[in-house]
Amino acid sequence: MKDLKHLIFFEDLLLEANNKLVQQAQSDGRKCIAYVCENTPEPLLNLEGTFSVRLRAPRTGSIDVATYYLTSFLCEFSRALLERAIEGGYNFADCVITPDGCSMMNRCVENMELLSAVSKDKKDFFYEYMEIPMKADDNGLNLYVLQCKNHILKPLAEKFGIDTSDAAIRKAVAKYNRIAELIRAIGDYRKGPNPTITGYEFAVLTLATYVAPKDLILDRLEETLEELKTREPDAKNPFRARVVVVGSEVDDTEFIKLVEESGAFVCADRYCYGSLPGRDPIVLTDDEDALTQICRTYMNRGQCPRYMNTEKMDARRTYVDSLAKEYGADGIIYEQMKFCDPWAYEKMLGSHILREEFGYPVLAVDRPYNIAGSGQMRTRVQAFVESIEIKKIQGGAQNG
Amino acid sequence: MAKEIGKDKFGSFYVAGSRVRNRREWRGVKDTLYDYSRWLVIMGTLGKFLMKPRNVKAMFRYRWMANYLAVPMMVDRHTQGLRQEYLRMCHIEQDLIIDDVAKLLGNLFRGDRRTGNDTEFSKKVVLVDENEMTAVMMGFPMLKCLSRETPSTYVSVLLNQHAAEHYIDVAQEFGLAGDVCPMPEAEAGVSIDDDAPVLGACAVQCNTTCDGSLLGNGVISRRLEKEDGIPVFQLAAPLRHREDDVQEYAAQEIRNAIAFIEQHTGAKWDWTEYFECAKRVNYATKCRQEWLDMNRTDYPQVFGSNLALYTETNYMAICGRIAAFEKADRKLTRLAEQAFKAKKRAAKEYRHRAIIWGVQSHYYMDFLVWLLNCWGIVPLTDMLSMVSTRKIAEEDTPENREQAYYDMAWLTENMIMRNRTHGGYKVLLDELWEFTEQFNADMVILWEHMSCKALDGMHGLFEDRARELGIHLVWVSHDLFDPRIISRQGVRDQINNYMRTVMREEPIDPSLEILPDEESW
Repeated sequence: MKDLKHLIFFEDLLLEANNKLVQQAQSDGRKCIAYVCENTPEPLLNLEGTFSVRLRAPRTGSIDVATYYLTSFLCEFSRALLERAIEGGYNFADCVITPDGCSMMNRCVENMELLSAVSKDKKDFFYEYMEIPMKADDNGLNLYVLQCKNHILKPLAEKFGIDTSDAAIRKAVAKYNRIAELIRAIGDYRKGPNPTITGYEFAVLTLATYVAPKDLILDRLEETLEELKTREPDAKNPFRARVVVVGSEVDDTEFIKLVEESGAFVCADRYCYGSLPGRDPIVLTDDEDALTQICRTYMNRGQCPRYMNTEKMDARRTYVDSLAKEYGADGIIYEQMKFCDPWAYEKMLGSHILREEFGYPVLAVDRPYNIAGSGQMRTRVQAFVESIEIKKIQGGAQNG
Repeated sequence: MAKEIGKDKFGSFYVAGSRVRNRREWRGVKDTLYDYSRWLVIMGTLGKFLMKPRNVKAMFRYRWMANYLAVPMMVDRHTQGLRQEYLRMCHIEQDLIIDDVAKLLGNLFRGDRRTGNDTEFSKKVVLVDENEMTAVMMGFPMLKCLSRETPSTYVSVLLNQHAAEHYIDVAQEFGLAGDVCPMPEAEAGVSIDDDAPVLGACAVQCNTTCDGSLLGNGVISRRLEKEDGIPVFQLAAPLRHREDDVQEYAAQEIRNAIAFIEQHTGAKWDWTEYFECAKRVNYATKCRQEWLDMNRTDYPQVFGSNLALYTETNYMAICGRIAAFEKADRKLTRLAEQAFKAKKRAAKEYRHRAIIWGVQSHYYMDFLVWLLNCWGIVPLTDMLSMVSTRKIAEEDTPENREQAYYDMAWLTENMIMRNRTHGGYKVLLDELWEFTEQFNADMVILWEHMSCKALDGMHGLFEDRARELGIHLVWVSHDLFDPRIISRQGVRDQINNYMRTVMREEPIDPSLEILPDEESW
């Protein structure tokens, strides 16, 4: 296929946490709200005068200093973030807001705070830690709303003078939804039998929406959507199987590239930093305040394994099944960042359930933060693709 | 053989390749007779337990039951070197815990569909986690609150260091990553292996202690709900437990849990009983505070494993629900005061005053006894004993009935261990140094449970702070339930190396430095 016009622009944005659009927004006087977990409601971080950046550590090299502080048993994502913070890589941030999503991310940010690793020269800089619900119910919703008030809206108003009114929040949701709708529409081009966008290209676009001010990439995303309407696919589909990637944090687009180079088209992305459900629009009504509706949406759609009630646990697997059906997947790749406790368990159960109860071929893998050079992973995905092909030839799952 | 404390060479009791020691300890006529009489009581408890056919059946059905043959040996490991009041304190605690566990096992097998199958009894059973405060059961005296994980994994590893290995392997063979905490991993392994009794009207799980426990519960609840038809309530205790803005959420979770139990058992919450239990909780807190006050002086009395194991049981598993523990609290306090007045000490020589922090190695719970006997390091207190000191409402008034939900929530949030490993760095990092000062400790023994992410995540800052404060910080790595990763000798070596190379000291009892206990229970 012909290259997407703006792909290099978006790829370039992913090379640095402090990318050129972040710098541009800050030079316009906007405050940068850094966060580290998908359970932080994004629209609240993108009010008038602020923009959000979900932290990542592109081009990570040595993480030795962070390993001293966190030991080698914490996931490489948390270590890479801390290392980058110690290196001064997040000094552009004006605050860090984090929920206690998992112990590792909590410790990562606490270390940043105790080591004064981020923006120590900014006098209004602050850290906020949030409690977030572990079950999707009314009690959880009340907690979520209160925590967002106390740990996002209140400090933003007090420290930076941001308008946190219901009207301001609704405006932020409208902007968020525009991006979400665009990503959704672009993502739909993955559904066809010979798709006009690769999983890698889509991952780049989606990731950019998490790490750059959304309004500054809006026009290019719109152009990309237009471009896809007429983009011609290759005459022969280069992929031998279609897979849903499910699992923990993936901000390394090289992982998606590796999967696709191994013959499996990533037709759906159900991981942290992915678009499903992370780029579902938030539907607001007028009969309830926006904050409550946002929190309810995040709580109900959340696929994080920290949600522990039975309905949510079951829903995680049926959601993967529904994605596989909607996007026409032949198989599922369950991935977890090495040392991630929540996804270690979810991967184990999910891979068994999707294989045995839903009948999908499933590959379960764990991976480091940076994967591109992994021959092991390549071999495993290639073998998985072959096994799917063999099953197809032999007539499906009933033959093993 | 010696009557005096510290005269024996304890290392000579161990036999390479054997599960048991070569002989019992001579403690002088009075103490030996006392110790022997308690041994007979334990054997009596075991004998009584085996009189019931369903319990014998369970011995053959459940793999982990074989570990209970090692009960007398476990007590002997904890009484090593103890005399007089210290020996009696240890027996009061351990014998009570043994009796409590025997009753727990008896009840589990009575209701178990595979052994006793008493269906009427089973309808009165509420299953709870091992890693869960039982506060939510304080007002249900008509129900039986039973934990299956306590006997199958928690106690089993106390009895036999190798007890959990099979279940850890089962979980990993099923696809669980090998880097998670082996405790919930083993519990999940028991469930995957279908090796837990099946009974109960319902179950209440909790997200305490940690991410691993929360996720491991998902494995267990799947079998409970989908296969055994036992409804499960997941009780969410907030992580940031010191914050005011999470307490309403926590209290509502308690209300919801009580409503769930009432719905599935038909039982009605009993406020009178609740406040009776609350009084016992307060009494236990008061006693523990008195013991800790003594431990701040030169004459600590209830310390080491005498403090740790008992607090874990009494604070978390009992939570005021069993009157016998109040009686034990009273006896222990009396003995401690008696020894304190007489300025007695539990070992020949006290060289260092240590705070034990982090999560202790479960397969080597008697390590604290070893620490004292081998190197004269006095374990003044441990992280798991530094639990809630808040007095909860104990008078039955309308206001206190409302307050009670917050108190139960507070206790649940402040489950042992997680009250330190979660809730922000202050409770884990900052308060350690406050305790070090309060207890006049010159040393911190820091258990590094290697797959505990919450603890590992403060590793560097522990080191930095200890260096700033000039406190000896001794790391002791272990893998909680799995001695194949770091053996008991591997644990000891970390202390031995520090004491010899950094402190340049010789052991008080050199025979204990290297022990052939790889195969030992």
